Amino acid sequence: MKRLTLTFGLLALAAVLAACSGASAEAPTPAAPAGSPSGDAVTITAKDIKFNPNAVSVKAGSAFDIVFDNQDGAPHNISISDASGGNVFKGEIVSAQKVTYSVPALAAGTYAFICEVHPEMKGTITAQ
Amino acid sequence: MFAARTSLRTSDVIVRAVIVGLALATGYIHSTLGGLLFTLNAVGYVVAAIAMIVPLALAVRFRWVVRVGLMGYAATAIVAWAIMGPYFTTAYIAKAIEVALIVTLAVDFARHDGSPIAVARRELAAFSSLVGRRGTAPVGA
Repeated sequence: MKRLTLTFGLLALAAVLAACSGASAEAPTPAAPAGSPSGDAVTITAKDIKFNPNAVSVKAGSAFDIVFDNQDGAPHNISISDASGGNVFKGEIVSAQKVTYSVPALAAGTYAFICEVHPEMKGTITAQ
Repeated sequence: MFAARTSLRTSDVIVRAVIVGLALATGYIHSTLGGLLFTLNAVGYVVAAIAMIVPLALAVRFRWVVRVGLMGYAATAIVAWAIMGPYFTTAYIAKAIEVALIVTLAVDFARHDGSPIAVARRELAAFSSLVGRRGTAPVGA
């Protein structure tokens, strides 16, 4: 009886923890910015709950496109924030789909991007 | 000691089936979202769905705990999503299912357990009875 009670208690605790726990933080894999600064387009792939590349460079002051290739069945997007955490761009959430985001011009600096569904998916955009 | 009513009518079975269906539906949606958090959330819903119908005496005795726990679990998921997002179609569907799940669980609770105050009184009485029995048990029993 006690053991069964304990088992149910643990199950309930596991359920509550599952609901309350934050997304596991995963540091972005160090990688050199892909390619040289471009005012045109960069391609970012989402696969296995990771961005590849997770660091890209773009030309500062020029609008650019992100070709976002979500190869996961899970939904992903790209949301870009500036150094103060303010959102500067939010892409549509898509599943197993390739879309092109039109991103407005960014001032020179480093920006973080994440997937809003999986905040542990992180990367950086350097505008230079 | 036992719940107000333990025998099941056809309508009870239907309500219970709806609860299990809704829990499995939102569990399935969460399982398709990928990542550890959503997978754990899906597992939680599947475990709760099983606990709602498993015919073990202990589960039957404490079914009201499962109902309340599942309501709290779904409510926590809704509140967490409302705070953190993200807001997209699949998420809205999952949250609608969770709201329906909470409502159905509340109906099931009311039909089987009565008011929460009655349940609290019953459990306190059962606990007091248990403590009283242990207190008067002969040494070495």
